[in-house]
Amino acid sequence: MGSALLETAEGQTRGIDLIGGMEPIIATDNLTKTYRVGKVDVPALRGVDLVVQEGEFLAVVGPSGCGKSTLLHVLGGLARPTGGRVLVDGNNFTLMNDGERTKFRRHKIGFVFQRYNLLPTLTARHNIAIAQHIQGDGFNPHRFESVAEMLGIKDKLDRKPYALSGGEQQRVAIARAVICEPKLLLADEPTGNLDTENSQVVLNMLRILNRDFRQTILMITHNPEAASVADRIVRMRDGRVVSD
Amino acid sequence: MVNRMIFENILHRPIRTLVSMLAVAIEVGMVMLVVGMTQGMLHETAKRVQGVGADIMVQPPGASMFFGLTQAPMPVQIGDHLAQVPHVLAVTPVLFLFNAHGGINLIYGVDMPTFKQVSGGFIFLKGGPFQHPYDILVDDWYARANNVKVGSTLNFLNNNFRVAGIVEHGMGARLFIPLSTAQDLTGARDKASIFFVKCTEPGYTHAVMNSMKGMLPKYQLRSIKEYMSLMTSNDLPALNAFITAMITVAVGIGFLVIFLSMYTTITERTREIGILKSLGAGKRYIISVILREAGLLSIIGIITGYVGTWLARKVIVAAFPTLTVELTVHWAIWAGLLAIGGSLLGAFYPAIRAARLDPVDSLAYE
Repeated sequence: MGSALLETAEGQTRGIDLIGGMEPIIATDNLTKTYRVGKVDVPALRGVDLVVQEGEFLAVVGPSGCGKSTLLHVLGGLARPTGGRVLVDGNNFTLMNDGERTKFRRHKIGFVFQRYNLLPTLTARHNIAIAQHIQGDGFNPHRFESVAEMLGIKDKLDRKPYALSGGEQQRVAIARAVICEPKLLLADEPTGNLDTENSQVVLNMLRILNRDFRQTILMITHNPEAASVADRIVRMRDGRVVSD
Repeated sequence: MVNRMIFENILHRPIRTLVSMLAVAIEVGMVMLVVGMTQGMLHETAKRVQGVGADIMVQPPGASMFFGLTQAPMPVQIGDHLAQVPHVLAVTPVLFLFNAHGGINLIYGVDMPTFKQVSGGFIFLKGGPFQHPYDILVDDWYARANNVKVGSTLNFLNNNFRVAGIVEHGMGARLFIPLSTAQDLTGARDKASIFFVKCTEPGYTHAVMNSMKGMLPKYQLRSIKEYMSLMTSNDLPALNAFITAMITVAVGIGFLVIFLSMYTTITERTREIGILKSLGAGKRYIISVILREAGLLSIIGIITGYVGTWLARKVIVAAFPTLTVELTVHWAIWAGLLAIGGSLLGAFYPAIRAARLDPVDSLAYE
């Protein structure tokens, strides 16, 4: 491991270990996130230090309530960190406001959720296309065709989510997540609602995306089999990374 | 893409769409019909007065331009003096009677010979002139609305009148009785409520009015042209207030229904809003989606409102032939703009609320 000085948006510098001299796509330093529930502060992340290189396929595992999903939300810019430092593709989320994080997410992050989260009124085709529309670069038919082909959903594109199986819905969700070529794909229990066969299909898709397209993936999972497809497994407990 | 999403959302909840659309349609219909009926009534009344054929109206001091409200009759002898003014062709006295029994009617008590000189005479569609003191003439609209025929008996002012003739509409009132009978019924012998004056040429109107002002300094003299211009809701504060109140109620209905509809939509679609946010949709995007959906709902409602208003007008005119509903493009545009404005205003708070939803909470929403 090499060491380099990384300049933060605050103008401060600190040492972060880099693999092979490359700038990491994710770098967190003593990251904390505390939720306020009523009048009680509930710490979800208690100082997470994590570095992920571009092109890595990382699985985050740990028991329920250990802070995996919160970590994913913070890394995706959906939640604001309470303390510490989060650099994603060189952008310091700690210093960015909600609008800036939204803009960043639009261009750099793709999400895959356990419950697919497709828009129920739109067809698969439009569920995918809406991501391109929100990104603002317009509809790219070539990219669209190749993604649909790769994920094996070309003949399902005109169906609405209720007419698709769980595995098909998740493949549409993956297509939507990668259609805009994000720097980082965040997957929250992507096989949690699927049977073994469909889980394997989805994991294969993620594996192909990582291997063939160097798509950086951070996947949260309970399932050790799912985690085993990743290059690297990080274990969390009580809001901290306990093994890497 | 957003248009498709909005369109699909609207189709996804047909009852919500129908209710919102109907509320906007009712809003548009209320505005157009209330304005159309009041303006129609005013303009039709004014046109009927114009149809008498006079150039000048002379009323006693303190009289209202609303004939039904006019008291204070004048001696009919004034008419003889007015007829002596240079360039006056004819003068006819009319006594107004306001009947509120079995409907609201303004009855003209007319002196047939001089009324004919001013107006050119009634065009009889059926029957003929008065034969007896308690004969009455009705216009064709009144006859049609009330299924009246020549020889029918009508009760006005606690007296039975025989229908002597049905005349073409547009001669001041819808009902006419002899002047002397009107004077007897009101105890105003040799009195008149108004004089209609016809000049030898319309160009003499101002000159004649100036001469008459010298003779009757405190009396109200108006040219028919001026009267026509005054018969608008703008010159009638109470009517204007009524129209404003009705429009406010209509816009309020549209606003509240769209507000409730969009507020419910936001709650129902919390998770979808979270999904859009996870895809990078910003506050402006979310607000735009909600407002555009409300806009589309109100456009459909406005079109339905236009069609509904047109149909309602047909029904109203068929059921009440004496009513005039004046639908204008001007007020159609205003009704549309008010509906769009009310809808967007109603959708604004739900849109802001949606934009402010926390994406993590939204995605976890069941």
